[in-house]
Amino acid sequence: MTPFLRSMFVVARRDFLAIVATPTFLLFLLAPLFMVAMTLAGGMGASQLADSARGAGRIVAIADAADVEALRAADRRLRDAFRRGEAPPPLEFRVAAPDAPDPIAITREKGTDTYAVMSGPLESPRIVERNAEGSAGRYLALLANQALRDRAAGDVVPVKPRFESIQRGGTSIAVQQSLGFGAVFIIFLLTLLLAGQTVSSLAEEKGNKVIEILAAAVPLESVFLGKLLGMLGVAVLFIAFWMIVAIGGGLVAATQMDPAAIAAAGKAGKATAALASMPATGWPFFLGIGFAYFILSFLLLGAVFLGVGAQAGSVREIQMLSLPITIFQVGMFSLSAAAASAPGSSLATFAQIFPFSSPLAMAARAASDDAKAVHLLALGWQAIWVALVIFLSVRLFRSGVLSSGSGWKFWRREKRG
Amino acid sequence: MSDFSVEANGLTKYFGDYKAVDHVSLAVPTGSIYGVLGPNGAGKTTSLRMTLGIIDPDEGSSRLLGGHKPQSVRNRIGYLPEERGLYPGMKAREAIAFMGALRGLDWSEGRRRAAGFMTELGLERVIDEKIRKMSKGMAQMIQLIGSIVHAPDLIVLDEPFSGLDPVNQERLEMLVRRERDRGATILFSTHVMAHAERLCDRIAIIARSARRFEGTVDEARALLPMQVRYTPRTAGAPAAVAANLPAGADLRGDAWHFAIQDADVEPLLARITASGHGVTGLSISRPGLHDAFVHIVRQVDAGFDADATEDAVEEASA
Repeated sequence: MTPFLRSMFVVARRDFLAIVATPTFLLFLLAPLFMVAMTLAGGMGASQLADSARGAGRIVAIADAADVEALRAADRRLRDAFRRGEAPPPLEFRVAAPDAPDPIAITREKGTDTYAVMSGPLESPRIVERNAEGSAGRYLALLANQALRDRAAGDVVPVKPRFESIQRGGTSIAVQQSLGFGAVFIIFLLTLLLAGQTVSSLAEEKGNKVIEILAAAVPLESVFLGKLLGMLGVAVLFIAFWMIVAIGGGLVAATQMDPAAIAAAGKAGKATAALASMPATGWPFFLGIGFAYFILSFLLLGAVFLGVGAQAGSVREIQMLSLPITIFQVGMFSLSAAAASAPGSSLATFAQIFPFSSPLAMAARAASDDAKAVHLLALGWQAIWVALVIFLSVRLFRSGVLSSGSGWKFWRREKRG
Repeated sequence: MSDFSVEANGLTKYFGDYKAVDHVSLAVPTGSIYGVLGPNGAGKTTSLRMTLGIIDPDEGSSRLLGGHKPQSVRNRIGYLPEERGLYPGMKAREAIAFMGALRGLDWSEGRRRAAGFMTELGLERVIDEKIRKMSKGMAQMIQLIGSIVHAPDLIVLDEPFSGLDPVNQERLEMLVRRERDRGATILFSTHVMAHAERLCDRIAIIARSARRFEGTVDEARALLPMQVRYTPRTAGAPAAVAANLPAGADLRGDAWHFAIQDADVEPLLARITASGHGVTGLSISRPGLHDAFVHIVRQVDAGFDADATEDAVEEASA
């Protein structure tokens, strides 16, 4: 091992142990539990709200007794084409009679939202609707139209469709793109949660003056890289912990569940459909390269934050820096997300080349493009940028904080002359 | 192998427009104990930092351990910075091993030596204690051990004695001598003359950013004339006694105090013997390093004050 790597690992080891061997680290490690609990609570509340709101709506048709059956049959047929949740509100019938309430009066009935009311003859119905942009009124008109056609056509033999899945033939582009987006999102989230800490990691050494011991004993580059590596170790430990928890949880759940239920869920479940579909480069490669891109994304952003944080003089400055840093990360995320949803576009190419969005965008590309060699190129390109950022950070740190500007701040030199 | 462990030439450093160090040169013979003395803010620390390559000089160069660039011989150097710092959460033994590991020492060997050093320095109680629980002086001793645990060839200590109680100062002197006997070269800065006088083979005095003196302690002391303290046997007639003494002799109590050039010692003795006033007390000695140091620094300051006055006059006349 070269002295450079050796001292880098000494620094990384110190940082890793200093972070991991504290009670606070447990809190950090378990923090996602709070997030999961919050998400569950929020999600349950939201879905309950949606359910209760959906149950309350209706549409109403006031029709002659003779037409009701035809309308009901048309409604049953048309409704079949909608997915659950997108179907129009339930249809209620009123038989037209001289003393029947006025459509406007029906819309005012308490206890339920009435989106549209159709009255009058089927040929020229009067439709009162709540929302001119909504589909409820047009759906009622379509029903009337269908009922009239049925009557005119007489008995038609019902169509007997045979459904076949096209999934065998390959994964749909939409699923691949959403896989790509998922990869971008997961890498982004993990980097956001974990890399931001690097911004304050040199503050410790500056605060307790150890920086001079480090600067005297080892090259600053290996201090910076070592700190980055230590934080990466913490991040990987964090991810590994939750992976094991997730896999363990999955196994426990599998043994608790009825095999038949799993089989049934396996046929219908959306998640299993996504699992059954393939990223363009195949699952093992996709996961592996995704992890590699996470590491580089962490190193790249971490190096930037470390360099920026090293310039900060106080804890307050570091706190102020966290906002622009988060915005920078979100910017990289939006860029890569846009690229993931438009593979092959020039925006995607830009996001793949621009060093700080490159890991995210390239992970997305692995989902939709089966070329593998390009990833090697991308990893090399990103690694070069990690080195470059570290190099620049160290120069800035030496000239600024250690006030050792040997010609780097050339303007100062000219001023003196 | 060069005869000098440190060869720094013309080190110059600006902080903004202020010239913190002005062409300071240091040549530390291998195997010696070398002191860099100077008042507070004279530029000692900056000079040492440049010598070690922690900061880059604006002008000049530094070569260590036989013509090497400072960065290329890091593992053969031990350094105690002026601003002491350790990770408060680390245990003493780990902190020492960590500092050794930074300089290329094996972790386990570092821990072993840490225990040895600490036991020897009377710190065995706190070997596995965290730094934050220690007193400032204890932490400083830990850091000192950390900077020599890898048995470096060159040891640079910036104000090592400040903040230590007399017992620990004594231990530190012992440690410094032992490291020298091991073959190491020691370069340290201080503004406490007593340590320098006892320890140093050679010294450099830095004042107002520049090196004002370089040589042995005795050479520094020789800058001032010898001081004589003379008590005549006959108490009366001070005027008669004074006639035999150089002009400016000062009577304090029974004793006369005055300075004398080296060449005038024997004639003085002859005059005193011949005068018949007798001798109950006579001492002729060099002033201490303390006086020499104050003398040099005052001279420099006086020069600066003169400059400042001239500047003021020029400005006023302009």
